Amino acid sequence: MGAGATRPSWLRRLAPLLLLLPLLIPRAVDNSYYVGMVSRILVYAMLVASLDLVVGYLGDVSIGHAGLFAIGAYTVAVLTASPTLNTDAYSTIQHWPQLSFLMALVPAIALAAFAGFLLGFPALRSSGPYLAVITIVYGLIIYTFINEQESLTNGTKGITLTPLHLGAVKLSGVNYLYVVYPVLVLVLFVVHNVTHSFWGRAFEAIKYSSVAAECCGIGRSYFKVSAFVLSAAVAGVAGGFFAQLDSYVAPNTFAYSFSVEFLIALIFGGVRSIAGNVVGAALVVVLPDLFAGFADYRLMVYGSLLLVVLYFVPEGMVGLVRRGWGRLRPPDHTAESAFLEAQAAGLDVFGGAPPSGDGMALRLQGLEMKFGGLTAVRDLDLEVPRGAVRGLIGPNGSGKSTTVNVLTGLYTPTAGRLFSFGQDLAPLKTHQRARAGIARTFQNLQLFGDLTVLENVMVGLHPSFRASLLEVAFRLPRARREEAGARVRAYALLRFVGLQQAAFDKARNLAYGQARLLEIARALALSPKLLLLDEPAAGLTAGEIQSINGLIQRMKAAGLSILLIEHHMDMVMAMSDDVSVLDFGKKIAEGTPKRIQEDPAVVEAYLGTHKTSSVVV
Amino acid sequence: MQTLQLLISGVAQGMIYALVAFGYNITFATSKTLNFSLGNFLMLGGVVGFILYMSHSWPFFAALAAVVAVGVVGGAVLLKVAVEPSMKQRSAYGWILATLAVGIVLRNAAEVFWSTDDFKFRSPLGDSPWRFFGERQPDGSLSGGLGVYPQEVLIILVSLAIVAAVELFKRRTVFGKAVVAVSEDKDTASLMGIDQKFVILFSFMLSTAIATVGGVLVAPITLVSATMGTVLGVKAYSASIIGGLESGFGVVVGGLFLGVSESLTARFVSTGYKDVPGFVVLVLLLLFKPSGLFGRAAIRKV
Repeated sequence: MGAGATRPSWLRRLAPLLLLLPLLIPRAVDNSYYVGMVSRILVYAMLVASLDLVVGYLGDVSIGHAGLFAIGAYTVAVLTASPTLNTDAYSTIQHWPQLSFLMALVPAIALAAFAGFLLGFPALRSSGPYLAVITIVYGLIIYTFINEQESLTNGTKGITLTPLHLGAVKLSGVNYLYVVYPVLVLVLFVVHNVTHSFWGRAFEAIKYSSVAAECCGIGRSYFKVSAFVLSAAVAGVAGGFFAQLDSYVAPNTFAYSFSVEFLIALIFGGVRSIAGNVVGAALVVVLPDLFAGFADYRLMVYGSLLLVVLYFVPEGMVGLVRRGWGRLRPPDHTAESAFLEAQAAGLDVFGGAPPSGDGMALRLQGLEMKFGGLTAVRDLDLEVPRGAVRGLIGPNGSGKSTTVNVLTGLYTPTAGRLFSFGQDLAPLKTHQRARAGIARTFQNLQLFGDLTVLENVMVGLHPSFRASLLEVAFRLPRARREEAGARVRAYALLRFVGLQQAAFDKARNLAYGQARLLEIARALALSPKLLLLDEPAAGLTAGEIQSINGLIQRMKAAGLSILLIEHHMDMVMAMSDDVSVLDFGKKIAEGTPKRIQEDPAVVEAYLGTHKTSSVVV
Repeated sequence: MQTLQLLISGVAQGMIYALVAFGYNITFATSKTLNFSLGNFLMLGGVVGFILYMSHSWPFFAALAAVVAVGVVGGAVLLKVAVEPSMKQRSAYGWILATLAVGIVLRNAAEVFWSTDDFKFRSPLGDSPWRFFGERQPDGSLSGGLGVYPQEVLIILVSLAIVAAVELFKRRTVFGKAVVAVSEDKDTASLMGIDQKFVILFSFMLSTAIATVGGVLVAPITLVSATMGTVLGVKAYSASIIGGLESGFGVVVGGLFLGVSESLTARFVSTGYKDVPGFVVLVLLLLFKPSGLFGRAAIRKV
């Protein structure tokens, strides 16, 4: 956690050595059965971690990971199997590539990753129960395939593999632990690094609010499909090493119930936690063994246990331990706060270069937005001059929020053109507009609840990361440097809005007014040229509105162009250089705050009029 | 002639999918959760029906009434034990796992307390097919031609009747409209004086009762076993998704599509691959229509 915040004591420096301990198990435990169980736990832990990427981080439930696992296992089995072990009278295998294990592992991972890529596409459009069925069906199709393609897979009879060895050294049986354990450590190291980087934050941002994620410059499709590919690749690795666990694979292992069992394991252990993944994997392996005496009741115990866990500890075993530990020793962030405070003190939060390109910060021409027969916005011209604050007001349903949604690319306008500093916005998708310097806040808060306040702002810094996935996965210098820099910059932004005290709280625990400030800090993290504030004062107390006013003045002073959408007239009139008024999707007035307040059309829109004279025929 | 026979068994199988799919829809409408143990409730119905009707020789309708009662009570227990806790916690996937867990427990209980074997369930209408267009044999019976099992006809008629009855009930009665109101907007329905908790309870009891009846219906065609509901539950789920979760008419279309494609593939391609074409179409369909054939697309609102 502490990115160089405190110097670790010598004890902490030695802690990684603990990772070597499991390698002593085969020496310490003189029982090949138990050592085999440990190897099995290690392989399964990879699969649970793979599932966690999709379920825990991305928030999509997959009940088909057994299929991806099977692809890994069967690719290795088919490519390495030798005829000597598999040609009895019943064998139906026709092809014998007989590659070495390592050679087979590469296509195994690649094939699984490709399967994950194919699974990622439906996940872009479907969600919840619709996506769940796709994953189930996906698993069943793969299961059917390995069952039926007998010339390749030997059907239900399965494939026997040649046990691994290195020269004369046997790597199977007890020794397999020496093979699997380093792989597990490597895989978990990579998964941990990815999930604790801007990649992982992108996944979680998509989980909580894909709209807000896109408005932070995150390409939803790219990251969603990538998460599936990554998860499938890890499942492929797990499958490949599973094939050598018993040196035998058969289709029945990879049935629907296997996917369900691993989903249970993940939830039991606790999502978004490597320790949780290992605990969950241990459950799958150890529980049947514990109940060996009454094996018939195993699944009943399993199901009941799951119900109890879901009811009493929905956050899983690791969550339970964390909660208990947190009570005993509340987390202490003073050292890190002090470090960030010192680093952030001199930082200019508006570090970006002044907007290039010329013309208006925003120019709308003849904008029209129709939903079916309803015209929400019609023929709207609107301009925000560079460095100005433009107020946009209007009664409820007058088209203000629709305008913002069109500006950020959530809706495609039915007519009209949009420009920002001379750049045509029409061809840009939502996340590209965010990268082009258009940031927004949300009227109904769209924060990423389980991320900390600091991390929420770091999601806004997403476009500033340059490190490749490889650099992130192995924590290479550039990835580390960028991450540390982003923390400092995020902290500086929190200082700017006055939220630094809450930096390490979860966003969901913020008070309402603080959450509105966090929305602004997150939007500023994009280093925007144009900021769209969608009712930033809604539901706030008078005191809180004052502090928002102060913020707007400071942002304006820094040269930011702002479109301010608000109901609080005092605020709009005090803050805006010019105000535009919408009613029923049409602009009915525009001008300085003083003129708007006296405009009869505006008064009519807000208060109605006495119909005394003219009668419309 | 043979194709027609295949079509009829495909339609019968499809109507069972449609019936169970309808069970998914009912609880999804009121609670926005799906009961993943529904396939195992179907199994429960088949097993209880078998025990009473075949083992204890109860009259068929007495056994059926008992099966319905088991379904009703089972639905209430499921709601209290598995679904309500996760709805309270507002967990995104708690209910998936909780209902899966109930399904696992049900299936294992059937294996432990009843049997792990497959049993034949005698159709109340007899097990010899009705023959049409066949050649008249010397003893006066027909052979060859088109053979239709009476149970297949029964399945088609009863399933259609149940779906139609529930749809009529939703449209024509005050309580049915309350169910629709809760599915449209829980909070507003509550404000209008509708007891939404009761409506949800009712929907769960109805859904599981339909599934248990489905178990008795399908048993003479398949066999009765503790595992009979697992794959059937998944297929029915697929059927409800193909149709679009919110559509009562859609589940019938989805069910029929799966049933017929299955029986045609089994005959003309391969028995092993019989499920695959339906599944592939499901995935492709969702790529283009993310909420099924007749489902309503959600509008992104910020």
